[in-house]
Amino acid sequence: MLRVNAFSLSSNDKTLIQNLSFSIADGHVLSIMGPSGIGKSSLLNFLSGTLSPSLTVSGEAFLNDIALHTQPTETRKVGLLQQMPLLFPHMSIIENLLFALPDKTRKPDRLPLAHDALKRLGMTDKANALPKDLSGGQQARVALLRTLLSQPDYLLLDEPFSKLDPALRRDVRAFVLAEIRQANIPALLVTHDSDDAKAMEGECLELSIVKF
Amino acid sequence: MPLKHIKWITGFITALLILPIAIGLVGTLLPAFHYFPPLGEYGFSVSPWINVFSQGEFYAGLKLTLITGIGAPILALWLALSLLAWGYQRPFFKKIEALLSPILAIPHAAIAIGLLFLLSPSGWLVRLFSPWLTGFERPPNWITVQDPYGASLIFALIIKEMPYLLFVMLAAMKSIQARESIHACQALGYSRFTLWRKVLIPQLYPIIRLPIFIVVAFSLTVVDLALVIGPNTPSTLAVTLFRWFNDPDLTMRYTASAGAIALMITIAMVLGGWELAHRAFSAATRCERSNGKRRGASDTLLGAGVIIGLITLVSAFTALILLPFWSLAKRWRFPDTLPSQWTWVNIERAAPLLMELSANTLIIALFATVIACGISLLMLETKRHQQKSSTNHEQQHAFDWLIYVPILLPQIGFLFGLHVLLIYLNLNGDLCAIIALHLMYVLPYVYLTLKGPYLAYNEDYLLQANRLNHRPWRHYISVKLAMLKPALFTAFAMGFSVSIAQYLPTLIAGEGRYSTLTTEAVAQAASGDRKQVGSMAMLQALFPVMVFWLAQIIPSRWTTWRLATKKRIIKAFTKKDKTCSA
Repeated sequence: MLRVNAFSLSSNDKTLIQNLSFSIADGHVLSIMGPSGIGKSSLLNFLSGTLSPSLTVSGEAFLNDIALHTQPTETRKVGLLQQMPLLFPHMSIIENLLFALPDKTRKPDRLPLAHDALKRLGMTDKANALPKDLSGGQQARVALLRTLLSQPDYLLLDEPFSKLDPALRRDVRAFVLAEIRQANIPALLVTHDSDDAKAMEGECLELSIVKF
Repeated sequence: MPLKHIKWITGFITALLILPIAIGLVGTLLPAFHYFPPLGEYGFSVSPWINVFSQGEFYAGLKLTLITGIGAPILALWLALSLLAWGYQRPFFKKIEALLSPILAIPHAAIAIGLLFLLSPSGWLVRLFSPWLTGFERPPNWITVQDPYGASLIFALIIKEMPYLLFVMLAAMKSIQARESIHACQALGYSRFTLWRKVLIPQLYPIIRLPIFIVVAFSLTVVDLALVIGPNTPSTLAVTLFRWFNDPDLTMRYTASAGAIALMITIAMVLGGWELAHRAFSAATRCERSNGKRRGASDTLLGAGVIIGLITLVSAFTALILLPFWSLAKRWRFPDTLPSQWTWVNIERAAPLLMELSANTLIIALFATVIACGISLLMLETKRHQQKSSTNHEQQHAFDWLIYVPILLPQIGFLFGLHVLLIYLNLNGDLCAIIALHLMYVLPYVYLTLKGPYLAYNEDYLLQANRLNHRPWRHYISVKLAMLKPALFTAFAMGFSVSIAQYLPTLIAGEGRYSTLTTEAVAQAASGDRKQVGSMAMLQALFPVMVFWLAQIIPSRWTTWRLATKKRIIKAFTKKDKTCSA
């Protein structure tokens, strides 16, 4: 369970978000919508621990009642998926997946685990392909599985579908939701598209400009 | 790079950049006023200056320096602009663009030696037209190279500088939306050359101002090129100073130091004058630009520039092609266009010497360039951190101008000042000292080549890598640097070719104990042993071209090769397993 308490964000004395609180149960996706520039991405940066120092924030975040906001990024075990799939172009697909497996995974288990992930994608023939040989939809799916293989404790999705064409979007959305349910971790989705929010079958928060 | 203490690192590198410059300057300035502790001189006096100004050679040298040092950049700029205006975005011009980087990579001494073979009275050009056209049965009694007016030196400088300027201009074209301007002006009925002169060149010039200054400073101070193909007695000021510094009479050093300071002041004044002239010229032509005339006399000027520019490029290539001819010739009598007998003997005989020279050259270049790449990465990482934390992205970093100082200062004088430091440190004649001096000239080029791609790198890849698996140092290398391979390889090739071309740094730091292909080729250029000099110049040209070529092909194929090798290894292992179990 991911819980955010009284989150406020301001930039250059301009309040963007005030007193936002929510909680997300394991295996569920909370969607956040709102106009651009409202601070959606900053909320994700707050949760992942990469907030730019020029912004002022207050508020708390807890994962299973353990404080997150006091930890540095590297100990938070956060998974983040962005618009760009960010697959490493100089590594094959299987290498990209192996890259994400935690150190503690035993050596003989590593390759089978990565191959299992490929099988779930239905792309076993692409193990030695390079990211540039994959379609946009395939790249998005590999990127999600790569993130999940790193066994994050919670997942942040920053408009991960916006670069896909509409026909693909539906498939990828369903795939993402199914995988999140299987991994049984809380996920937060930031999007412009209300269809994204609907497809995630969870709560949806609309952020609007703070008025005084 | 997960760096800590950014401020300390920045300060340290800044000190590292400033220190040699400061010492070199002080080491030139003090002897210029007769203060030189190594020779037991502790009193200040202006006698070196009186000496300099009483030498006729100084004035003659200064005159030649000004003619060649101002003439060559102006002509090179004219030709480069003409070629660019003529060919920009035309399909065939891509081929010329592809030829630029080999010319850029080749050390200027090699090109000068090639020109010597081409243009001298017994050179290939005269041979080509003899005796059927000229009637010469023996080389004419002309002075074609090393002419007293410096014309051949200017030509050699243009061959080196025009491709460089063209290269810089092509890179700068991206930032001025040239294509749109060209279309708009053509739609208004402007001729190609006029629209370039009125619209594009005024936009282009401010961006390439600094590279032009580098070219001017280089032309005013070049020593090796002038030794090979420039006038002698009197020679250019830089060469005269070089002779004075090497004079067995050590007191000539004071005069030489004063002369070196005079040369620095000359550079500053020429650059100042250049800038003033540019401002005056653009102010004077401002009204004329909007007078609505669609074509003008400048079209002819740029058109002529195209023809001369092409001739220059062709001579550069012919000069380079001639280098191996000489090293493979057994018998090549005067009016013969080609050697009548060929042989490997020249190269075989010179092999031990060539091997030693190549080994020295490559070791120095390798170390200097690898260190330069490391320092450049460190500098760019601190710059990136600073850019990230400050809101003003255009803020100039100290590195950005400091890095140019060693290229703009005249090597002559400055390096002799540093030599005194090397003697104090007991490093004179040491290989480390040569590498350190090379580093000073390699670093700026490596840094500048790497800067654009490094700062444009999408940091999200690295952030994502560390989110997946937190190992900052390892991922810096295996993700960020691995993705920047093309830029890193190009920067390496650039640094490598700069190092191979160095003449004075090798000579001064090495005190003649370490010879490289460049120092030996320049020293023997005048010897007349064309076969040996040809071999040296050929190797000198070959190494940078090869490194540039490798830098082009390796990064794009690396991943494919790596995966193929991995596959083969895995296959071999599984086969072994199968045979074991069977």
